[in-house]
Amino acid sequence: MITQIPLVYYLALAAALFCIGSFGALSRRNAIAVLMGIELMLNAVNINLVAFWRYGAADPLVDQAGIVFALFVITLAAAEAAIGLALIIAIYRSRDTVNVEEINLLKW
Amino acid sequence: MIPYLSLITFIPLLGAIIILFLPNDKAIKQFAIAWSIIPLVLATVAWATLSSWAPPYNFVYNACGVTIDSASAGYTFGECAPWISTLGIQYHLGADGLSMPLIWLTTLLTTLGLFYSAKVIQNRVKEFFALFLLLEVGMLGVFVSLDLFLFYVFWEIGLVPMYFLIGIWGHDTDRPQYAAIKFFMYTLAGSVFMLLGIIALYLYSSPNTFDMTLLAANQANMPFSKDVLISSLAFLGFFLAFSIKMPLFPFHTWLPDAHTAAPTAGSVILAGILLKLGGYGFFRILLPIFPQVSQQWAFWIGVLAVISIVYGALVAMAQTDFKRLVAYSSVNHMGFVILGFAAAAALTAEQMQNPHYINNGASAINGAVLAMFSHGVITGGLFFLVGMLYERTHTRELALFGGFGSQIPVYGALLLLTSFASLGLPGLAGFVGEFMVMNGAYSTLTLLAFIAVWGIVFTAAYFLWKIIQKILLGNVSEQWAKLPDLKGYEILTLAPLAVLMFAIGLFPNWILDTINTASIAILEYMKRM
Amino acid sequence: MVQNFTLFIPLLPFLAFAIIVLLTRNNNRLSALVAILSIVAALMLSYGVFLEALSEGAELAANPFYGAPIAWMPFGGMTINFGWYVDPIGAAMLFMVPTVCLMIFIYSTAYMRHNHVDEHGHPHAEDDPRYARFFAYISLFTAMMLLLVVSSNLLQFFIAWEVMGFCSYALIGFWSFRGRKEHHIDDAQVGRARGAAIKAFLTTRVGDILFMTGMILLLITLGSLDFNKMYDPAAMNNMLAGLAQPLPGVEWPVVIALLIFGGTIAKSAQFPLHIWLPDAMEGPTPVSALIHAATMVSAGIFLIIRAYPLLEFAQQTSGPAMQIVAFVGAFTALFAATIGLAQNDIKRVLAFSTISQLGYMLAALGIGAFVSGSFHLLTHAFFKALLFLGAGAVIHSIGTNDMFKMGGLIRKMPITGITFFVGAFALMGIFPLSGFWSKDEILLDAMREGFYPHAGMSQDLFLQIIYLMLAIAAFLTALYTGRQLFLTFLGKPRDQAAYDHAHESPVAMWAPLAVLATFTVFLGFWNTPFAPAFFHFVGEGGFMGLPPFEHSEFDPIALTNMLVSTGIALSGFAVAWGLYGFRPIQAGQPDPLARLGFVWKILVNKYWLDELYGYKINLDGTAQPGLLIRLVGAFMRLCAWFDRNVVDGLVNLAGWLSRILARLWGWVDTHIVDGLVNATASVTGEIAEWWRTMQTGNVQNYALMAMVGAMAIAILFLLRSFT
Repeated sequence: MITQIPLVYYLALAAALFCIGSFGALSRRNAIAVLMGIELMLNAVNINLVAFWRYGAADPLVDQAGIVFALFVITLAAAEAAIGLALIIAIYRSRDTVNVEEINLLKW
Repeated sequence: MIPYLSLITFIPLLGAIIILFLPNDKAIKQFAIAWSIIPLVLATVAWATLSSWAPPYNFVYNACGVTIDSASAGYTFGECAPWISTLGIQYHLGADGLSMPLIWLTTLLTTLGLFYSAKVIQNRVKEFFALFLLLEVGMLGVFVSLDLFLFYVFWEIGLVPMYFLIGIWGHDTDRPQYAAIKFFMYTLAGSVFMLLGIIALYLYSSPNTFDMTLLAANQANMPFSKDVLISSLAFLGFFLAFSIKMPLFPFHTWLPDAHTAAPTAGSVILAGILLKLGGYGFFRILLPIFPQVSQQWAFWIGVLAVISIVYGALVAMAQTDFKRLVAYSSVNHMGFVILGFAAAAALTAEQMQNPHYINNGASAINGAVLAMFSHGVITGGLFFLVGMLYERTHTRELALFGGFGSQIPVYGALLLLTSFASLGLPGLAGFVGEFMVMNGAYSTLTLLAFIAVWGIVFTAAYFLWKIIQKILLGNVSEQWAKLPDLKGYEILTLAPLAVLMFAIGLFPNWILDTINTASIAILEYMKRM
Repeated sequence: MVQNFTLFIPLLPFLAFAIIVLLTRNNNRLSALVAILSIVAALMLSYGVFLEALSEGAELAANPFYGAPIAWMPFGGMTINFGWYVDPIGAAMLFMVPTVCLMIFIYSTAYMRHNHVDEHGHPHAEDDPRYARFFAYISLFTAMMLLLVVSSNLLQFFIAWEVMGFCSYALIGFWSFRGRKEHHIDDAQVGRARGAAIKAFLTTRVGDILFMTGMILLLITLGSLDFNKMYDPAAMNNMLAGLAQPLPGVEWPVVIALLIFGGTIAKSAQFPLHIWLPDAMEGPTPVSALIHAATMVSAGIFLIIRAYPLLEFAQQTSGPAMQIVAFVGAFTALFAATIGLAQNDIKRVLAFSTISQLGYMLAALGIGAFVSGSFHLLTHAFFKALLFLGAGAVIHSIGTNDMFKMGGLIRKMPITGITFFVGAFALMGIFPLSGFWSKDEILLDAMREGFYPHAGMSQDLFLQIIYLMLAIAAFLTALYTGRQLFLTFLGKPRDQAAYDHAHESPVAMWAPLAVLATFTVFLGFWNTPFAPAFFHFVGEGGFMGLPPFEHSEFDPIALTNMLVSTGIALSGFAVAWGLYGFRPIQAGQPDPLARLGFVWKILVNKYWLDELYGYKINLDGTAQPGLLIRLVGAFMRLCAWFDRNVVDGLVNLAGWLSRILARLWGWVDTHIVDGLVNATASVTGEIAEWWRTMQTGNVQNYALMAMVGAMAIAILFLLRSFT
């Protein structure tokens, strides 16, 4: 019998990923990097979801909410990336920059 | 079963949306004309189906939980869906002999109007054609709705496109903005009263309903009919809205301004259909739902109708502008429609027991509805003729014309035909309706009828003196030596109307058969008062 | 059974109208051919019906040909059906109308070609520019006259009646507009025709309104407009059931009968609505013959024939309906004859004689002489058409209507002249022409009932007065007809140039005259006092149980009457000879009758009725509306002023008031209501001013705050779960 990897490993990995992601999203000035940070955070959540499903569900084959949620998140992430990149490109075309500090049209 | 009425009503809306995406003017025009033929064909099929059932209906109408037996069945093509369930508002459509001819006329005049406009409208084409189709939706919706709330919504929808048609494409010299605002505000003021009436009906009906068929069928047991104040006020609300729309003296003054300012096709629709919305309301709502109040006020409404007839004719006679004259002729002719209403409404409960009076009441309603239909055909034609002359001469001042009978003979012949149809020459469309209205009116409102009948002389006078004599007779002045006669597309626009004038005048049975079923049904409702 | 095809008789000319308008309007010859072929076909068919009717004999009066298969107007539980109804008089009309119409059609083919002198001085004839249109109109007219004759229903009758009114309008105004290349008419004629057309239509329209009112009231009271019903005494007797009186002392039948008679007054040009007919002579002459002499005006008489049971019924039950008819007729006969004396236009003299003769017919019908009135209708149509066509030939030949520019024309136009004499003598009532027999019968009936009543009845003063009026009118008729003959065909030419220009008409014009003259000579023998065949055919009078008025056996009073009326006619003619024939009028000489002074002035001005309520049309094409029309005009302007300034003024006032109110509210709104709002806003703004520094606009800052907040909440949560 193969010894299973304990749940806490997954959680630690996810937490680490989440921290990296949120750091990137909060501190980077390049909009693309911010976007990548968000993607990392989403993937951290995905890991959590899948892990909890595998370990938490009474009967993983019947109670599939965890992976379904993960699938939703992946789809959403894809859409978000598409829209986000489109926005960034549009902004770049008009403002010649992707620095979020400089995108301040609506400020005051 | 095919949902004819929904298709007829909403196909133009789809067309209006498609037009917004079409690239160029030519495509828009061709598409709009072709598209508008679809409802026309559908309406023709629907009418043919309806008259193949008539008379008498031997089926039971069943829609929206309303079941009407064959004794008083008028409605067919019922369609029903819940809409705002908390208030019992339903999407309830249906047609009968009263609305079917008007639906058909709407689709026909829209097609003709679009066809004619395709040649004369050159600026802001996309907006014009889209608005025109939207206008058709509003008008058709009024004729097909059997739910008061729905009726009101469509009633208001029709206002907006007309406002823009007058305001944007009106002739600059005729103060189009003034006319458009006057039209809009006046009609809106009327419809606000109608809204109050609708709400009153809803609150004072049991069970609370907006359904016209239910209100009419059960009006004798409804709380509002037992409360004189409420039913009178509600009646007044509807009456104001409808008589402003008709228009009835003294609410008519928006009409000459709006007609004069509107572009040709707009005037055609305005006179041909929009005025009929009011007339339709008189017979669809006032008569069956408020028989007692109608009966009480019949004489005074008759008085207003007679004033409209005689006064409208006299004022028309005094006009010097061709288009204003035709506009006032509408006041004159709509007077007959309301006189027909008053004559039918004046039937007392005791007279209702006498089949003789019932027949004459049916004659009044038949006549009024036919008068609406033929007025649409004839006055539609007259406004086309006004527009065609204006396109050529760029004036509408009657004093400047003369001798066109020999200069432009085809135009002359068509103007002669249309004028005589309008002044009520037997054998042409205008007479049948007038005769039947007078027949009904003489049996209940003898004295008023005898005054009204003199309006016919004045009508003849202004058509002969002001239109035929000033335009067609006399010598051609040098100024108009090169005036061209009608072109193919113009003749094609007028031809269907001319055929209809003969068809109704020579053999009105085909249309009266349809209308008569509705009249009998309406009288059946009135009997229950 | 030819009678089943009766409705095709009007249909054929109507098809000709449609064909000419839609297809052949640009081809003159073809259009005329279509029109004539259609009328020939209609004529053969209607002769077929007529012969079938004759073969039925007296049986037809009891069972007329009838069928009403066309459902036309449904309302409520009832339907008005259209079809055909041919009784003896209808059958006789079916003989008269197409015959006269065919003659007029043939005549028109030549009349509507105008003599014209081109720039090289060569005379040649060319078609009227509206030749085809003319044939279209007269085809439509004929169709409607025939439809009227065969109608089974008063409404159907009314439709035909009104469309004829339209044809009349169009044909009187045939020359009321002029293209730039049309030189055969001048401005004065355009003006006259324009005025005459509108006058004719509106005047008859007044009568039509009365007719329509009467008809609707009949429909309401009787419940049907079918002639079958109207001739049914039982149905008529039920008429009064359940109806209130319109006014105290007045009952419905008499009201209805007189309203319908109103239609006749206008259409048959009886006093006081006769004013349109003389001016209607502005149309081309075949039109005058067709419409304003032979057929359309007789439609009014035919209406009274159709409404005769109603009149009798009204007379018996509720009021003097027939006496009023008789009096109006006799008065008009006399009145129009006086005006006829003072006319110089050859056609206007005939127009007034038509009015007068129609008055005769009405007087006859009104006193109950149903058969003689109807018979005069038939014979008059022939000789009046003959006279008009003859006058047309004269006008066509010398180019003027003025009798004082004529004279001696019989030498230039012998056939026209002789036929015109035949017609004129028939009009005067000279033995043995048809006019003698028919007019004589009317006078006979009036005389016999007035002066020689049935045993047991007293002499009737009313009938005596009617007789005297008719007798004086007969004298005047002979006088003005004689005047016309002496001024046109006899005597010396007064305008030599016109006389030299005169020539006999082409065969297409004189042949119809000859045919009509033949009928004029022989038709009278259908109903003489010695052998009253027509009387037996018609059914011996009396519908509503009145005793038959005329006698079937020969009555010796008839001989007295013949002598008296011949004496009257001859004395009238003798006076005419004394005034105009004995010493022929020279050019420039005034009318001998002008010595009458003021009376003459009255007659020339037609009693100033046009100035009172009519529309006076002058020779130069200008026109003055009469007093009544001016009043209507003033009222019309008042209404228009009222509409613009009062009714619309109120609307605009409402608009203006709401604008003022809006401006007031606008001020309140900006300074008070909005002031409060602004105050709130500025306070809020002040607070916001320092608070907004929080808002960096940087999403990352916000996200950081969110995350810090989330962590704070998480920590709080953890702390709580530990404690």
